[in-house]
Amino acid sequence: MDALVAELKQKLIDILNLTDLTPEDIDENAQLVGGELGIDSIDVLEMVVMIEKDYGVVINSQEIGEQVFATLNSLAFYIEANSAAPSP
Amino acid sequence: MTALPVYIAGIGIVSSLGSGLAATRQALAANRCGIGPLCLFELLQGAPLPVGQATPDTIAGDLPRTHQLAAAAALQAMAGSSEPPEAVIVGTTTGGILTTEALLRSNDDDTAHYRYHGLTTVAEEVARRVSCVGPALTVSTACSSGAAAITLAMRLLQRGTMKRILVGGADCLCRLTYFGFHSLQLVDRTGCRPLDRDRQGMSVAEGAALLLLTSSRPEHPHGLLAGAGLSCDAYHPASPHPEGDGALRAMQAALADAGLQPGDVDYLNLHGTGTPDNDLAEARAIHRLFTAPPPLSSIKGATGHSLAASGAIEAVVATLAVTEGLVPATTGCRQPDPVLDLQPILAPLQKPVATVLSNSFGFGGNNCCLVVQAPNLGPRIRTPTAAPQPEKRWLALHGWSCLTGAGDLAATQQNLLAGHTVAGPADLTAVSASLPARQIRRLKRLPRLALSLATGAVDHAAQAEPPSGIFLGTGWGALSETHDFLQRLAESAEQFPSPTDFVGSVHNAAAGQVAQLLRATGANITTSGGDYSFEQALLAADLLTGDIGQSALVLGVDEGHPVLSPRFDPSIGSAAALADGGGALVVGRDSTKAVWRVSVPFYRSGRAEDGTPALIAWCGGRQALESCCGVILAGIPLGSQRLGEEQLNNFLAAFKKPPPVIRYRPLLGEFASASAVAAVLAANLLQDDALPESLTGGPPVSLTGKTVLVLGLGTCLTAMEFSRA
Repeated sequence: MDALVAELKQKLIDILNLTDLTPEDIDENAQLVGGELGIDSIDVLEMVVMIEKDYGVVINSQEIGEQVFATLNSLAFYIEANSAAPSP
Repeated sequence: MTALPVYIAGIGIVSSLGSGLAATRQALAANRCGIGPLCLFELLQGAPLPVGQATPDTIAGDLPRTHQLAAAAALQAMAGSSEPPEAVIVGTTTGGILTTEALLRSNDDDTAHYRYHGLTTVAEEVARRVSCVGPALTVSTACSSGAAAITLAMRLLQRGTMKRILVGGADCLCRLTYFGFHSLQLVDRTGCRPLDRDRQGMSVAEGAALLLLTSSRPEHPHGLLAGAGLSCDAYHPASPHPEGDGALRAMQAALADAGLQPGDVDYLNLHGTGTPDNDLAEARAIHRLFTAPPPLSSIKGATGHSLAASGAIEAVVATLAVTEGLVPATTGCRQPDPVLDLQPILAPLQKPVATVLSNSFGFGGNNCCLVVQAPNLGPRIRTPTAAPQPEKRWLALHGWSCLTGAGDLAATQQNLLAGHTVAGPADLTAVSASLPARQIRRLKRLPRLALSLATGAVDHAAQAEPPSGIFLGTGWGALSETHDFLQRLAESAEQFPSPTDFVGSVHNAAAGQVAQLLRATGANITTSGGDYSFEQALLAADLLTGDIGQSALVLGVDEGHPVLSPRFDPSIGSAAALADGGGALVVGRDSTKAVWRVSVPFYRSGRAEDGTPALIAWCGGRQALESCCGVILAGIPLGSQRLGEEQLNNFLAAFKKPPPVIRYRPLLGEFASASAVAAVLAANLLQDDALPESLTGGPPVSLTGKTVLVLGLGTCLTAMEFSRA
């Protein structure tokens, strides 16, 4: 799980182009969307694509999405629980 | 006092409901839904989503689909009308992209095959078919494009210098919009259900509507355009302001323009896309404006959302309401969402309607509302309009900025004075360094160039009011985002399109970013007229900038893209020769604070036979031209060099002794908005009062008491004049 969280932090920085951040700057328990990272609905959708592509996990309803993207931890938990393949 | 009404004299319409006014009327009266599974193009996987697909009338030739839709609607609108319109204005977001998508997938690099890619080619094709040699303008403000185009046409007619304009919107289904909206999870898999409790989004659609607008009353008018209002949320690239702030302001502005109160509205035609957020924000705006909302409905559950066409299609629907009392239903809506607290019309009604308010909102927070009224509300006898004003109009020029291969304004000027060309790609790292990192993290090349130009010009115009209107001309739009979206779509076998790139790919994304940065909540217009895009933006700025106090930011910007630019732009030989950048002017009506001024552009088709004499007349005649013009900056795109040189020679023949002529494209670079850089160069030359020897190739020439003329030559003939205020 820790490895997945660390991996997600790096992916977040890469796909959302948060060039001024390092993985250490991201708190996995902090509010992910609308928090101080400035992540909005478009970023969430970009993450949805990445999660489907890289982990085979589909998130296609707004209600599920809101719970899943509450924090980076909740996202990692959801991926682990729904991923067919064991997480790296 | 309100402006003069404008008459709707002719109508052409093609949508998923059918072709022609009669078919449209029939479908709406029967509450028929035109939405069905996509079959226009093959999908690599998955079941086709519901879309609103049209069947265009058969048009000869190898035109892309948007052009065909537009041409079909144009011919319908002009049927029975022998006199050509004096201008054509088309709102579109897709242009030739459906054809381009296929060409790119087959790795075709023949520039000739991409000749209809540009948005401007839709308006040019319409103009050609209806024999119009006046301005053919293109507005691309996402889903409000059609309505915004109609607004520009209204203002142009109200000036009194033109009497007939053919205007509307057109868009075709394509992979970009089909997968783009899907990637944003904005598509309802069961078909669009506006205002429904269970609504899940829109149905992407296609279509075209063109309206012949006239300033004098035709024999059988379809209605009056009584008002229009524009606003920008300046809030988010893709989501509406949650309280509907911008929507409210646009509705208020349209009603005020028509001299009406909210209580005068008999029917409200909603934007009503069926996305959870749009319908909620629109409902909130409605409750803020109306104590008791009027009868209202959205037709997008019947037609689908035809993007740039929708505003024009819905203006046509408004004419059916005011002429025939047909009030359409909110097709697809079964259980109105109690949260919205609206009572949408669920079955078509027949009732007298005098006044319709029609809403169109788009990406970039771009809002436009129109007021359509019954023709009997107009003056029985044509009110004599103010005498036509053939004389040149001027805007006060408060500040400017540019970006070129050499860098910013100072670096560009320095290089030009030293006799160097500044053509080349702008330095994106340097450009980005001066912009807020968090705000630009998702932005690629074009929006970054635009933001840098905007801040540069506003800083330079420190004396002027902060601009409320943003007018951005771009020949090719956000090429990086468009390319990356299509590439990822193809590489992932249509599985993983990028929502970020889709939002960034729309032509008006950059202008929306500028509005957000500057908090500019006035009109926000993106024009795309190939090599004359900047001139079109300046025309739009003149038409939509209020009479007092307001100032506007006018930008021309393009990016050089190694894959797409050499394919799209006939003036670019190879990727090695890429140049880009642009220019920006802060303009306004308040000349008291301005030292300089810029004329509203002269703008004609390059095909116009009387082009040269008309241009000379616009310049004030031969004598005035000879005595005033200090230097000519001539823009001859490499792709139309022969025609451009011929036009230039014809023009120079008017002079006994022509002033120095500087062909600016070799100096500034071959890119569509090079004319924006030329405009900035013109302002700088005036400020320096002299033409340096590096530019004359001889001794310096004084510009004291002189004007600088910036000519655009080739497929269009344009002119901008710069002088002391």
